[in-house]
Amino acid sequence: MLRKLLATAALLAPVSAAAAQTGDLVQFIACPVYRDADSGKKSGCWLVDDPATGLRYDVSLSPHKPDWNFAVMVEGRVSGASPEACGGAVLDAVRTSRLYDTPCTRHMLPAEGYKGRRFVLPKRNISPTSMVQPAPEGPFAERVFPIYFEWGNDFLIYQYGDYLLEQAYHWIAAAHPAKLVVTGYAATQPQPVSGRNMAEPAELAEQRAQTIAQSLRRLLPGMPVEARVDTSGNPTNDRDADNLPAQSARRVEIRALF
Amino acid sequence: MRKKLLIATIGLLGSATLAAPAPDRWWSPGEGRVFPASLDYANAHGSLRLLLDGGAMKTKGHAFFEPLGKNGRACVTCHQPADAMSLSAATAAERWEKTGGKDPLFAAIDGSNCPALPQEKRESHSLLIERGLFRIQLPWPVRQWNGRPVTPDFTIEVLRDPNGCNSGAMHGPAAGNISVYRRARPVANMKYLLAVGFPFDPKQGVALPRDPDDGTMMSGNIMADNRAGNLRMQMEDAAHGHLEYARKLTTAQIAQIKDFEMRVFTAQQVSAKAGALDTLGAQGGPRKLQASQPGALGSIGIPVWSEFAAWEKINPEDAKTLSPEQLAFRQSVARGARVFREKMFLITDSAGINSRVGFGNPVRNSCVFCHNMSQMGNDVAPGQVDLGTTTMPFADPWRDLPLFRITCLKAPHPHYGRVILTMDPGYAMTTGRCADVGKITLQSMRGLAARAPYFSNGLAKDLRGIVDYYDRRYNIGYTEQEKQDLTNMMSAL
Repeated sequence: MLRKLLATAALLAPVSAAAAQTGDLVQFIACPVYRDADSGKKSGCWLVDDPATGLRYDVSLSPHKPDWNFAVMVEGRVSGASPEACGGAVLDAVRTSRLYDTPCTRHMLPAEGYKGRRFVLPKRNISPTSMVQPAPEGPFAERVFPIYFEWGNDFLIYQYGDYLLEQAYHWIAAAHPAKLVVTGYAATQPQPVSGRNMAEPAELAEQRAQTIAQSLRRLLPGMPVEARVDTSGNPTNDRDADNLPAQSARRVEIRALF
Repeated sequence: MRKKLLIATIGLLGSATLAAPAPDRWWSPGEGRVFPASLDYANAHGSLRLLLDGGAMKTKGHAFFEPLGKNGRACVTCHQPADAMSLSAATAAERWEKTGGKDPLFAAIDGSNCPALPQEKRESHSLLIERGLFRIQLPWPVRQWNGRPVTPDFTIEVLRDPNGCNSGAMHGPAAGNISVYRRARPVANMKYLLAVGFPFDPKQGVALPRDPDDGTMMSGNIMADNRAGNLRMQMEDAAHGHLEYARKLTTAQIAQIKDFEMRVFTAQQVSAKAGALDTLGAQGGPRKLQASQPGALGSIGIPVWSEFAAWEKINPEDAKTLSPEQLAFRQSVARGARVFREKMFLITDSAGINSRVGFGNPVRNSCVFCHNMSQMGNDVAPGQVDLGTTTMPFADPWRDLPLFRITCLKAPHPHYGRVILTMDPGYAMTTGRCADVGKITLQSMRGLAARAPYFSNGLAKDLRGIVDYYDRRYNIGYTEQEKQDLTNMMSAL
């Protein structure tokens, strides 16, 4: 009963503020709150209130989840999903970049009747080495594989970046290109977000390129790998950026040349 | 009736009766025994079994068993079969009593709290005798697993040096080294520790490094701080740092040691309270370990500690073959396995889990989140995680261990901040990264009954101490029954 009431309240909440429409792109910075919903492993909820509208969003579907001690930059699309799982308008796709320079008061909400989401393996997950992967079929020609990162970070995101890199690896291992050019990008153009001018440092493009180049050298010993940098921060419309323009700007491109 | 009882008794004992009686517990270097194909040793919880794949092996002239360096030690000195190829503090204490401290085990280089202390005194070896800790001298500044120097992103200062091995002309950061104190890790069931389940290290966000010797990917699960990526490097590190072997190990010696380490399997075989651990459908003991494929993730295959699933529902006929105490203990072990897998709690502020990998801080999960490899309970991924066992404020503030102040020069540590107090920086001494301070590689959980105390610094004096530490660290709220079930289950591994 309480859960239904809260879910209804959450649904009604946008009416009193700027209503979030399905498909809207939202971007803001705020402190995350953890809701201790318990439907088994990894089932807790992550909620963040947009300081501009007061709307509460459920960002639990982010591949790189928040740390309750630090603010996050939220980027996501409002989905049409019911808020009944966690008690917030669901963002899907969504990214939550941890901002370690912005401490937060850690806070945990009780479940309050919300069940969270039972964990299901995300569609982007890597396969055990013991499983033989079907080899990609040719003919092979020049191709680009993007890998995406959180804001301000060169960390290969578990069950997102590692999946994209693994896909690239399998294709490259079958295609035998002459060399790989790894270009790191950073979102260096300042963007106003919740009153802050958010711009990644130019050197992050180099770090991202080196991180992926190092992994490629380990995955594909002997394959020539050249690292380059592009600090323009231009977004793309690649589908694996999940229709999130800011996400697409924070990337590495692996270009296989024959 | 008599026939039925006899069959039941055989069933209860299972393969507990197949091994030959155990010889002397202590294996001295160079004594030339034959290592049998199956070998049992009693311990406080029952008995441990060792299996040697391929049959018995002569140890005369074998590089694992012969003294190599000037201190008279062999590998077997600190990796004793009766102690599940590790060394318990109780064994070290017994050895001191038996030899008056003359055994090579107490070599000044690492078997004493510091070589500068008077070696004839028991208190100079207190860390080994009381907590099973060996001194590990690590280079400062840091060197990577491949020996390459690293410029650390932190400084290290010595706040407390109770043993004198982190200060003075020869020791400490100014002299180019840091001394920490750690337990000997078991040298058995090695195929599991070397297994690679996935090509990436999710905790570091990078593909696994390649073995410089054979080109395969390295698991990162051999050493507490992952400073040696393969067995050859570990052997060379140990030959120099523990055996005081001045020369380089030969290719033949390395091959011989590796051959033995890959062949030896161990696990608890008989529980003093439950009987044989491979009866009535259970699959405890080392035989299953020896036969199984390593590296499988329990969550998508064989659940971790499902070896004891058959004891969840022991049918009444089978129950009659057990004493009430045996039945109750078996049921407790089975419950403990479920608690291990299914009791969820919030994991907080642990680098390697809550950062940099993006599970969230906190994240709800159970023991098998990290102890996830089927049959073994180590981490399929490289297992460098900070449980707080060596680092304040989570660790017990033991004043007989050194205390270091780490200051992060770039980004602060995500959970500890810019300044960290630690008794062992762990993995940070290999990577040079402040974010890795306090991370210690998860290890095998088999044969625990034979090798107390636990955690890399002996923080938990017994199996119950492990449960109590986790309960405190993560505010789990185990019931007394759950604590006892977990303890009993671990005694059966």
